[in-house]
Amino acid sequence: MKRRRTTKNCEPSGRCLMSELLILPDGRLLVHNMTPVFARLLSRLNPESEEIMSRVTRHPSPPHELPD
Amino acid sequence: MICAVPKERSADSHVRAHPVFESGNSRTRRSVLRAAVSRERARAARAMLADCRFCAHDCGVNRLAGKRGLCHAGAEARFFSAQTEVSDELELIPTFAVALSGCDLRCDFCITGAASWNPRAGAGFDAGAMAAKARDALRNGARSIMVLGGEPTIHLPAVLEFVSLLPETVRLVWKTNAHASAQARELLDGMFDVWLADFKFGNDACAQRLAKVPDYVRVTAENLRWASAHSELIVRHLLMPGHVECCWAPVAEWLAGNLPGVKVNLRSGFWPAWRVARHAELQRPVATLENDRAIDLAQQLGLNLIP
Repeated sequence: MKRRRTTKNCEPSGRCLMSELLILPDGRLLVHNMTPVFARLLSRLNPESEEIMSRVTRHPSPPHELPD
Repeated sequence: MICAVPKERSADSHVRAHPVFESGNSRTRRSVLRAAVSRERARAARAMLADCRFCAHDCGVNRLAGKRGLCHAGAEARFFSAQTEVSDELELIPTFAVALSGCDLRCDFCITGAASWNPRAGAGFDAGAMAAKARDALRNGARSIMVLGGEPTIHLPAVLEFVSLLPETVRLVWKTNAHASAQARELLDGMFDVWLADFKFGNDACAQRLAKVPDYVRVTAENLRWASAHSELIVRHLLMPGHVECCWAPVAEWLAGNLPGVKVNLRSGFWPAWRVARHAELQRPVATLENDRAIDLAQQLGLNLIP
């Protein structure tokens, strides 16, 4: 429960994205500030997790791009 | 189904209350309107810092003159995170989340305690630069923009300026602890599409002990009723170990009785962090049995749980 990991994904500009991961003794993972990249990573580690898969989203037509 | 009766709106709140999407021209007109209104309100909000009453603590300090209230925030906003995230409600993600430093509550279990308790944390907030980042995020697939903290209510001038620079058609999400004053709500009226509001504690004793906030239940209920009448509302409750009966049960009952049908996100990923060592019951995650009991309760009450 005490193991806390911080992952960073830095862009060329130097700006870093950050997610935090907490691993519980029973094997559960808690994630804070999950970025799309981190969600994809977790989905590869556990492709059967529906909870993670639902976070690996694809939005071909974002709603802010409304049709004229 | 929402049973709360909308209160009278301020004169300019029609900007978001009656959106028009029929043509590119009307969309452009609406954008100009919101931009103008939020810019004007940003100026008004900045003047109000001289007698700050944005949150329910009602300090009345002059932040423009360097005085600090309970949140310790000065006149200028800072932020500690701005990135696209996918850990919020499924209907909102991916969201470009901008987290402003500082908060008016003092939750000992705060997962971002270092930045949330310290308004000097992070970097200076430049509304124009942040709006450019937000537009980038939208181009890269973000479907909403979320403003959060800490607690963003204490930084209304910066937030409203930021809103004035955003595209009109994007879904704007106001992530809040629901401890705002009526004055703050009036400034926010019509500015955000979704209020994503916490209902953390089911009684004032737990709120005082864990977050040092008085009169919590009344203030939160007032904010949630207002939000449900003025925007889309999603209520969040972070399930805490040892607080299912004293906090979740009364929150769930209140929601069922007062805001039937409102979207509720029951969060079970309690993360023992920050100053939980002060509270014996908070030094562990939520047990499976507690989580099951909380979900049972929600189902018995007919709550509209969303992932």
